[in-house]
Amino acid sequence: MRNVWIIAKREYLERVRTKSFLIMTILIPALMIGVSVVPSLIAAKSSGGTKKVVLVTADPQTGAILREELLDLNKPRKEAAMPGGQRGPLTSTHYEVTVETDVSDASRRAFTEKVKEKQLDGVIWASDEALASRKFDYITRDVSSFIDTSMLERAISVGVRRQMLKGKGLTDADIQNALKPVDLAAMSPEGKDKPDPQKLFLTVLALVMVLYMTILLYGVNVMRAILEEKTSRVMEVMLSTATSQEMMTGKILGVSAVGLTQVGIWSVVAGVLPLVVASSAGILTGVLSAKLLIYFAVYFLLGFALYSTLCAAIGAMVNSEQEAQQLQIVVMMPLILSAIIMVNIVQYPSSPLAFWASLFPFTSPLIMLTRLALQPPRAWELAVSISLLVAAVCGCAWLCGRIYRVGILMYGKKPTLPEILKWIKYA
Amino acid sequence: MNTIELSQVRKTFDQFVAVDNLSFTIGEGAVFGLLGPNGAGKTSTIRMMIGITAPDSGAINVFGKPFERKSLHNIGYLPEERGLYKKMKIVDQLVFLGELHGMNAAVARKKAIAWCERLEIAEKLQSKVEELSKGMQQKIQFIAALLHEPDFVIMDEPFYGLDPVNAGLLKDVLMELKKSGKTILFSTHRMDQVERLCDSICLINKGRPVLQGELKEVKSRYGKRNVQIQYEGSGDFLQNKALVASCDDYGNYVEVKLAAGADPQDLLRLAMERVRVNRFELMEPSMEDIFKEVVGKTDA
Repeated sequence: MRNVWIIAKREYLERVRTKSFLIMTILIPALMIGVSVVPSLIAAKSSGGTKKVVLVTADPQTGAILREELLDLNKPRKEAAMPGGQRGPLTSTHYEVTVETDVSDASRRAFTEKVKEKQLDGVIWASDEALASRKFDYITRDVSSFIDTSMLERAISVGVRRQMLKGKGLTDADIQNALKPVDLAAMSPEGKDKPDPQKLFLTVLALVMVLYMTILLYGVNVMRAILEEKTSRVMEVMLSTATSQEMMTGKILGVSAVGLTQVGIWSVVAGVLPLVVASSAGILTGVLSAKLLIYFAVYFLLGFALYSTLCAAIGAMVNSEQEAQQLQIVVMMPLILSAIIMVNIVQYPSSPLAFWASLFPFTSPLIMLTRLALQPPRAWELAVSISLLVAAVCGCAWLCGRIYRVGILMYGKKPTLPEILKWIKYA
Repeated sequence: MNTIELSQVRKTFDQFVAVDNLSFTIGEGAVFGLLGPNGAGKTSTIRMMIGITAPDSGAINVFGKPFERKSLHNIGYLPEERGLYKKMKIVDQLVFLGELHGMNAAVARKKAIAWCERLEIAEKLQSKVEELSKGMQQKIQFIAALLHEPDFVIMDEPFYGLDPVNAGLLKDVLMELKKSGKTILFSTHRMDQVERLCDSICLINKGRPVLQGELKEVKSRYGKRNVQIQYEGSGDFLQNKALVASCDDYGNYVEVKLAAGADPQDLLRLAMERVRVNRFELMEPSMEDIFKEVVGKTDA
């Protein structure tokens, strides 16, 4: 135990003292903030423009109704709970709508020309045939702005319905009532205090991403640490006093402690920095229960232990970074698979896939966390999942210890799978 | 009490027999040479002595009892595959390795500084390993093996890659250790060094012991079969197959290996008839000669 402590201590101190630790500690949150803030800043700046749109329709009354519906898109999101079930606009494009009544081919050519020459941004062609067949042409240079297009589409379809109902002689109040959207609130049997599903999803995503990133980042560090030992040939001296098991444990603990230190620093900073709080605290409050956080810690530590042990074994097997990178995929695959399954599970939290993936040790850390947040699993499922994970960590540590023990003394060519299997059997 | 006892030790890796039926003992305070060509099984043997690997069969006793990990705190090992943490400061590195050998950090630091002064690298204590020359790194490694004052020191090719001055420095340290009663094991294929330092040897080839015993006894076993001759005249007389097995011409003199059963006096007589002899000396065989002869024989 003393050796494990000494080795872990050295690993920790040497790593924390490096410049790269400092740089990473600062750079990663900076990047995160950059990734989350910059796009929205850019989006706010770029799409805030005004679009001049001409609505061409033979009937001025229809034109007026549709125009009003289109101008509704300019209202801020919350007020404009539009009839037809949709919320307000997703983009901040401001529309200027004029109605024209000349539906001749010549007029269409003229407007098309204007769009081409950028005098207009778009022409909605609502001729009688179009109204009858419900197929409208929207002539625009920005054919790829599908969000804008679908917003316009919704507005027009509401307008068309409103106009039809008006034709049937309904009053404006009746029409408003008929078009009023319903709100379907999903509610678990446990009670109605369940948080907003969108918030929930984002929270789970955030937690799982922390786990995923940490495993990737520090798992690779564990691998490098082992490899360093191998390439610097410092192994043999150490083996003359410590066992390979002690070395592996010490290394993993040391590097993990560095990772936890870094994550810890980030958490503290995130608590202090109002910028980050503004975006994340809103999501976290009300969703994160103490229970969830405890399970998060359990799965985080166990999952990290499992994957870093695997990484240590890879580090012991190979002789260079290049070789290590090829084998890294072995570790990446279950993680990527978990991420894919997770998306499915958010949709179907009680599917058999969710059940099995939350028991299988290599996917359970990510998947069970997802399930915990979405729909509390039964107690025995949690017990089985955690027991299996603990068993897998122990099994993996044992197996990797065997590989490590032989692998660290093997220099030269990359071992083949049969060779590795033989190593495990060596006394 | 013997420091190390190996009896009937065998180690295989798959089909490959690394060490086969090896037995030897190293008495307390002895300087022992484990010799053999590259790949003979020297390092495999050492690794078993210090518990890095376990023998397939046979027994290894360390300090008079079966191997236990506790004994490692009393063994110093300089491996052939050397290495230190490149980015770590010398003094931290030595303290770390000292702690692993059961030392207290403060004591380890004090001793590390003393050793570095002794080996004339005190000014590098705060440097990183990667800033040091190869020879200096070697000295650090040497210190690491001795820092915890082990009673048994294993040196795998200790002088490899050192200049004569530094090799001399380390040799003096080792001789001092010997005087203070420590047991030393040299593993090397450089015979000239062994000759000067070792009390007894074990020569292994392909995992098997082929020759072992006290150095003096081994040498006498191979008798004085070599003659050094300095002469003026033609060296034709050396072609006599009945007397000369082989000869090496060094320009100033020739070294002659006598044929089996030949009397050196006959060769001297023959030489005096043909050339003017300035010097004629019967020599002990060098370890190198013995090594070549034995290894050549076992290969055949």
